[in-house]
Amino acid sequence: MTPHPLGRLLNILDYALSSLRRRLLKNLLVFAVFTLVVFLFSSLLLTRGALGDLAGRLLAAAPDITVQQMVAGRQVPIAASACEGLRGIPGVGLCRGRLWGYYFDSENGANYTVIGLPEGPAGQAPASLSHAVEGRLPQPGERGKAVLATAVRQQLGLEGRRFFSLFRPDLELLSFEAVGTFTGSADALVADTILLAEADVRHLFALPEDQNTDLLVDVVNPLEVETIAAKIADRLPGVRVISKERIAKTYRAVFGWRSGITATALLLALSAFVILAWDRASGLSGEEVREVGILKILGWQSGDIILLRFCESLLVSLFAFLSGWLLAWVHVAHFQAALLRPVFLGWSVLRPQFPLLPPLAAADLFLVLAISVVPYLAATAVPAWRAATVPAHSVL
Amino acid sequence: MTLRPSYLALLLFATLVLVAAAFHADVAARRHEALAAGAGLRPLTLSLGLADLAVSTEARYTRHPALSDKAVVGMDLPGAIDPFPSTLFFAPPPAP
Repeated sequence: MTPHPLGRLLNILDYALSSLRRRLLKNLLVFAVFTLVVFLFSSLLLTRGALGDLAGRLLAAAPDITVQQMVAGRQVPIAASACEGLRGIPGVGLCRGRLWGYYFDSENGANYTVIGLPEGPAGQAPASLSHAVEGRLPQPGERGKAVLATAVRQQLGLEGRRFFSLFRPDLELLSFEAVGTFTGSADALVADTILLAEADVRHLFALPEDQNTDLLVDVVNPLEVETIAAKIADRLPGVRVISKERIAKTYRAVFGWRSGITATALLLALSAFVILAWDRASGLSGEEVREVGILKILGWQSGDIILLRFCESLLVSLFAFLSGWLLAWVHVAHFQAALLRPVFLGWSVLRPQFPLLPPLAAADLFLVLAISVVPYLAATAVPAWRAATVPAHSVL
Repeated sequence: MTLRPSYLALLLFATLVLVAAAFHADVAARRHEALAAGAGLRPLTLSLGLADLAVSTEARYTRHPALSDKAVVGMDLPGAIDPFPSTLFFAPPPAP
């Protein structure tokens, strides 16, 4: 009687499992290395995916065009009158100067980003900002008040206090009162930010009245952003123009898998699988030859033996892939990529706390499958064929 | 009654797939909440003109990759090397 095809497959699967159990230590080692490589590579992909997704979501409202003045390849303040030069360009909406800069805190080695709070159309502080701030914003014309990120508050040691001081370039000490704190959900954007009134930023950085850090330009028709960016670059000498599309392109590249450590990890992962596959493909042990010979004497066909070897490889690689992939998700989404954080935070003194929630991307899943399970299965084809063609009398 | 090994393996595989699916569903739900919170930050990005994520604050070009350029790494002095670990993780912005 011909056995049912599924029953035959289950029988071969049973035999493959007992065969794996006979070489338990070796197969456990292969499984552990396979899982580790899939875990590390998937963690990198997922962390990048989560950061890229975060950038896409939070920076969707980034300025249409940012204009920076360049001198000798470095950014310098731009003349406040530069907006006047853009008035004649059709399609240009609101143009405003922005004041911001970096403040290095020599006490603790932290870098803060200090931003000037723009006034609303009627000379008001933008009311819409109050959703991102606990406490209050500096009122128009109010000096010496600040909104801080939680991490900055900690670095300045302001547990129960409200007042802190910053140095001007001439070492004059300026005192500020913290009247608000950015909410935790804003950490991914402003974890290192001190928000001051524009006049305070100008005074702190000793910027002349007729200069701003850069210009923000709104474009009426979003389809014309690139054209208007090119016109601005033509009209203002020595400027760098950064369009919204360019910001998106930068973030796609910055968190893309083809760059930096991810490309290195991809090469390392591939090398690990080549070594694993080499182990499978290199020579048949005497024990394996004897086993195949006995199976053939018992009536197994070459096709059955190829299927047996395929089942063994499939079991090891699929279980290792699934374990590694699942561990990577737990690592990134639950433990906030604790193993990779030291790499992408580097020597940052301020450690932003925001959840990493990668989107489930089919491309990531197939990329990991393609560099792990597929080459491993492909590499078993040759040894499976060699094993299947062992003549039965070779063991006699 | 003892299960045959192949059934045990299939059961274990199905359990792993189910655990993975449940975990993915949990992350998707948390992501949905984060999307709503992110939408509330739109006015902050708009009014302050923010163009970058505050992930790594160790160097200007990792704090603001979109507002820096490719040459900025070596800009501090001629022939300067890039000592910052996070630049391993962040690729340089694409050429214009």
